[in-house]
Amino acid sequence: MDVHGVYFIWLGLSLQFLMSMSLAQRVLLTWIFSLVFLIMLVLKLDDKIHWNWFLVFLPIWTFDTILLLMLIVKMAGRCKPGFDPRNAADNLKKRVWYLVAILLKLAFSLLLCARLERLTDIWLSFICIPLWALLIGAMVELGYNVFHF
Amino acid sequence: MLFSLRELVQWLGFATFELFLHLAALLVFSIFVALRVDLLTTVSWWLVFVPLFAADGLSTYFTAIVSIRLYQEGEERLAVLRLLWVLTVLSLKLVCEVLLCQKLADYEQTRDPLYGLIVSPLFVLLQLLMIRACRVN
Repeated sequence: MDVHGVYFIWLGLSLQFLMSMSLAQRVLLTWIFSLVFLIMLVLKLDDKIHWNWFLVFLPIWTFDTILLLMLIVKMAGRCKPGFDPRNAADNLKKRVWYLVAILLKLAFSLLLCARLERLTDIWLSFICIPLWALLIGAMVELGYNVFHF
Repeated sequence: MLFSLRELVQWLGFATFELFLHLAALLVFSIFVALRVDLLTTVSWWLVFVPLFAADGLSTYFTAIVSIRLYQEGEERLAVLRLLWVLTVLSLKLVCEVLLCQKLADYEQTRDPLYGLIVSPLFVLLQLLMIRACRVN
C-alpha cells in the first residue's frame, strides 16, 4: 500500500472517531480550541507575540475545517446503498444550512483577519455582513424551536 | 452542528429562550460596533455595550422568575443550583464586558488593564464549563 492509501485510511478512521464522539469528548474538542485561541489572542493583543493575525486565528481555521469535513462526510452518507430516504429532506435542509453557516463564519473570520493585517481597508460594516447573516439564521432556527414546541 | 440544541441547553444550563436573547443581543451589539467604528466615531463605548448589559439584566430577571417558580413547586435543590450557576456565568460575562468597555473607552489615555486581565473571567468560565460538561455526561 502506498503512502496515499495509508493517509486516506488514517483520515477515514479519524473522521469516524470524530463522528462517534460522546458529549464530553465533543466539549473537550471545543474547549481546547477555544482555550488555545483565547491565549493566542490575548498574547497578540498585549503585544507579547508579533505573529500574523492569520496565524493567531489558526485554532479557528482548524476547528472549522474539522466541522466542515464531518459535515461533508455525513452528507456523503446519503450516497450509501442502504440509505433510508424517510425524513431525508428535513435532514438535508438542516445540513445545507449548517454548511452555509460554517462558510459564513469562515468568510467573516477571513475578512476580519485581512482587515486587521491591513491587506484591505473595507468598512467593518461590510465585514460584519456574513456574521449578521449567520446570527439571523441561528436566531430563526432557535426561534422556531422556542415558539413551535 | 457539533451539538444538538438539547445538549447545548443541558451543557450551558440556559433555557432556549435565554440563548435566543443572548444571540439577539450579540446581533444588535455587532451592528452597534460596526456603526461606531465606521460612522459614529465619537459615540461612547458604554452606549455600544448597552445591548449586552440589557441581555444580562433580562436573563437575570428570567432566571430569578424560573427559580422562584421551581422553588414554589417544591424543587428547592434544582432552583438554588440553577440560580447559582446562571448567576456565576452571567457575572463572569458581565465583568469581562465592563472591563473591555472601560479599556476601549480609555484606550488613548492608558494601557491598563491588559487584555490578559480582561479575558481572565472567560478563562474561569471555560474551566467551569468543562467541569459541568463532565457532570452532564
